[in-house]
Amino acid sequence: MSNIELALWSFPVLLLFVFLRMPIALAMIGVGVGGTWLVIGNPMMTLNQIKTLTYGTFSNYSFSIIPLFLLMGQFATLSGMSAALFRAAESFLGHRKGGVAMSAVGACAGFGAICGSSLATAATMGQVALPELRRYGYPGSLSTGALAAGGTLGILIPPSVILVIYAILAEQNIEKLFVAALIPGILAAIGYMIAISVWVRVSPNSAAVRDRQPWSERLVALGKVWPVLTIFIVVVGGIYAGIFTPTEAAAVGAAGTGIAALAAGEMNWSRLKQSVLSTASATGMIFLIILGAGIYNNFLSLTQLPQTASVWIGDQGFSPWLILTVVLIMYLLFGCVMDSLSMILLTVPIIFPIMSVLDFGMSANDFGLWFGILVLIVVEVGLITPPVGMNLFIINSMAKDTPIGQTYKGALPFVLTDMIRVVILASFPAITLWLVWVIDAL
Amino acid sequence: MYSRLNRFAEILATLLALAGGAVLLGIIVLTCVSIIGRAFVPLNIGLGPIRGIYDMTEIGMAAAIFAFLPWTHLREAHARVDLFQQVMPGAMDRLLDLLFNIGMFAIAVVGTHRLYLGMLDKHSYNETTLIAQIPVWQGYAASLVGGIGFVLIAAFCILRSVRRMAGWPDEVPT
Repeated sequence: MSNIELALWSFPVLLLFVFLRMPIALAMIGVGVGGTWLVIGNPMMTLNQIKTLTYGTFSNYSFSIIPLFLLMGQFATLSGMSAALFRAAESFLGHRKGGVAMSAVGACAGFGAICGSSLATAATMGQVALPELRRYGYPGSLSTGALAAGGTLGILIPPSVILVIYAILAEQNIEKLFVAALIPGILAAIGYMIAISVWVRVSPNSAAVRDRQPWSERLVALGKVWPVLTIFIVVVGGIYAGIFTPTEAAAVGAAGTGIAALAAGEMNWSRLKQSVLSTASATGMIFLIILGAGIYNNFLSLTQLPQTASVWIGDQGFSPWLILTVVLIMYLLFGCVMDSLSMILLTVPIIFPIMSVLDFGMSANDFGLWFGILVLIVVEVGLITPPVGMNLFIINSMAKDTPIGQTYKGALPFVLTDMIRVVILASFPAITLWLVWVIDAL
Repeated sequence: MYSRLNRFAEILATLLALAGGAVLLGIIVLTCVSIIGRAFVPLNIGLGPIRGIYDMTEIGMAAAIFAFLPWTHLREAHARVDLFQQVMPGAMDRLLDLLFNIGMFAIAVVGTHRLYLGMLDKHSYNETTLIAQIPVWQGYAASLVGGIGFVLIAAFCILRSVRRMAGWPDEVPT
């Protein structure tokens, strides 16, 4: 068997292991080590690499942003900001048709600005918004669908753990990716609100509205979310202005949300312990996969598969846009059964080199940013599509009287707006890149 | 006997994870202090960033992440695809789980042993970090603590899988 054939065979083997419920990290390490062994004929090279590979990966300065952002997200859930954000959004949107659900989406977007995790955003906002949605008579399907979709804003709106991982794998600039994600993130929130507004018009009487709030009260409610705004500006603004490195910004953000949680009186020893333990299990999980992806990708590059594949695709003369479409659809399909993180770690090292040789009529840097945002969105759709949609599960488990089928149904309109947004952003790269260009020109 | 081991594993993994968390919090505080110090540099009053904060971050992070691994493994927090769990016979699922736990144990043993060999290498080369000149082997040594914990917990998890195959329930440690 040639090396290329070995590399090609490694995909089905890896997928078989993964679908047998093997931990993804273990599958990647196993297939990577085994494959390298077959290519070289002995395991010595891998064994020698591992002497420094684990420590080298875990001590990588760029990677250290990940546990810091995770801890920041944990602290953010304790900061009481979810309730303040929801009340502020409600005072502005609550009197509209479907306004309470729109407020939940708006508050999710705000929470996404201090939390880089989709699940944490969905769970935290669910606690605040679900009882309120029920009080105003929203059906379970719409409530849970809106909150599950709103949760995905946690990773779309910077800071975002997944975006950091993409940046590291595709060797893109984290600062610029955060800026590029901003407008698509806001478009996502607007799209979700439009979906809600259509829903309540198609089935009237599905929800009551609140009284219109006077501007004085709106401003008071808005004033209470200043910690969110401050932390977001310091973290994302500070990174972009070059005041600190992304890792430093994440440390400052974690400190800021920690102080906010202390000030809210929500922080005590047992909660600090819980935050640390949750961060620990997620960090261990992510870094084992990063390690596995490293070993597996070393094997793939040893076989020269990425280079061969990009040359082959270049020779075929396919339209770059056709390939992009196929790749995005593949992500959507995989997203239905795999979690976003594993998908990014598994595919970006293979797909990105292939995609980056295609000519989309833009510079390599612009392409890296634009493609990253597109991948982020299609991967995030996987969180709200059955059968494996983690956001759907977590929100559904909080709404005891709503069957999971209703939640699936409720998520559909939001998935639809996601699709429309992907098509728009893919067709008009300038929407994503515009803000980056503006800030670069300063 | 098992309940004692179970309690030991729980305490060991929790302590290591919390120790790693303490290191993480320490890095956060030091980083903030360093940034504040850097802000004072233009005033020229002898305050400045902490020298070698990047080196310290790297070493601390590595040690913390190694210390998190036992907790991740004990809590079965690994990312995996559960799509076919419903249709898989329970016995097969538990058998596979045992095999995966053995695989994870193998990775823990080989990885930790290699980390140890790597430490010896760094020690004999006298390699130091770029700025703070901290000997690199010390970072490896700090990481070994978590690595050894990972080996112990992974061994315990094999035992836990065997018990599950036999149909005995997990015990909740008190």
